[in-house]
Amino acid sequence: MASSRFATFMRGYGRLTIFMIPIGIAINFVGGQIALLLKLPIYLDSIGTILVGATCGGLPGALVGLVSNAINSITSPPTFAFAVLNVAFGLLAGYFGRIGVFRVWWKTLLSSLAFAFIGGFCGALITIWVFGGLAVGGGAIVVGALTAMGMDLNTANFVAQMPMDVLDKVPTVLIVYAIIKGIPRRLLVKLPLGWVYLGQPNPRAKKSVAATAAS
Amino acid sequence: MTSTLAAVAARYRRPMTLGNAVLDIHPTAMVAGITALIVVGLVSAGWVAPLVVSVLFVVIAFLAGRGRSYLGTILKLWLAVGLILFVLRALLVKGQTVLVPLGPIAITREGIQDGLRFSIAVMAICGGVTLFFAIVSMRRLMLALERIGVSPRVSYVILASFQAITDLGATARVVLDAQKARGIEAEGNVFVRARAFFPVLAPVFLTAMSATEERAIALDARAFNNPGRHTSLLDLKTWTGVDTALVAVAAAMVAAAVAGGVLGWF
Repeated sequence: MASSRFATFMRGYGRLTIFMIPIGIAINFVGGQIALLLKLPIYLDSIGTILVGATCGGLPGALVGLVSNAINSITSPPTFAFAVLNVAFGLLAGYFGRIGVFRVWWKTLLSSLAFAFIGGFCGALITIWVFGGLAVGGGAIVVGALTAMGMDLNTANFVAQMPMDVLDKVPTVLIVYAIIKGIPRRLLVKLPLGWVYLGQPNPRAKKSVAATAAS
Repeated sequence: MTSTLAAVAARYRRPMTLGNAVLDIHPTAMVAGITALIVVGLVSAGWVAPLVVSVLFVVIAFLAGRGRSYLGTILKLWLAVGLILFVLRALLVKGQTVLVPLGPIAITREGIQDGLRFSIAVMAICGGVTLFFAIVSMRRLMLALERIGVSPRVSYVILASFQAITDLGATARVVLDAQKARGIEAEGNVFVRARAFFPVLAPVFLTAMSATEERAIALDARAFNNPGRHTSLLDLKTWTGVDTALVAVAAAMVAAAVAGGVLGWF
């Protein structure tokens, strides 16, 4: 049955992951709200996805992204077409987290390029395929203006979205880095990828048990 | 005392009712009905069918007694999303019959037709989704899903997310004010404002993450991780003949619309 499968899947991630997912979703929303409140020209609506991906693993991160977009599409249904981007952010953050990218600030900063590539390039592709190049939002006005200036519609989408996404993802990954630095060790030790940030070997890897006991 | 206790107990023993025939429709039947209307609106080629469907959604909202707030939300959506979708298409889709030449771009009849069709179709989908969530509360929906075998953990994630969005949003605003009082600038140029972002959000998010531990213990104390079937204080109204009829009509409508689309009636 579906329920037991979900339970088994979640058990592999420890007890806390299921409680981290709603927090991640809320962080996605609140990040966006505060960005609006401070009148920042960026979305900052994937902090939670990347944070949960980096601390709990790719699949919980992807789940945060999926549910965030699903909730968002209650009030703005076209958003759901972009859910796959948020899912990809979560998966990529899980991979980056596992290999220790978020432990070092400059690697974190570089990772923003990868997220921006997904957000900008693939986002533009979705806009072109699903909405015929004309989606909604602030970007659409820019795209419209570029097209009016004589640019090809598809080119206009890429030109408008890539720089916007780099601007969006740099502060996003930086705040993820700052939050991970601030997570208390007693919480970190209970998170599935906490060992990365505690400088411990992977507890799931068989041979490392002796090493952990020795240290 | 005993009589009031008995009355309270009796109220919880009955399935919950919201005192309105439309609101009391089973969430699953509601999904079927609204999906069918959307499909019917999208199958035909013109912009009239989705428009009729959109109007129908408003009528249903009024029957459910949620008309006023629904109308407000949906009008805002039409203005914010529908209008932009329409204007962009009308301006940029190329066509043969030029109505208004405007320098490098031109408003063409094809552009306007394409814009009307596309924006109203998108708005019909938006209208249906918005209507569903205006009528069916998340708690009722998740309860219905749990009854058909969805894990209580899934309901927890969804319901806790909504709660956490409200709670964290409120905390974030409080922290923003507190940090302003301490002299962090939340106004000024973009870089000044962007710098305020970190001291506001980092404490809010860290507190929320630390609170998950307590939440885990609280739910464990309520036997949340018990593998058995969970009970609930409230129960949905049982599936009635009205619900069956609604699903049957919905299925018939979809079948007719799809068949009509294939046979080219529209």
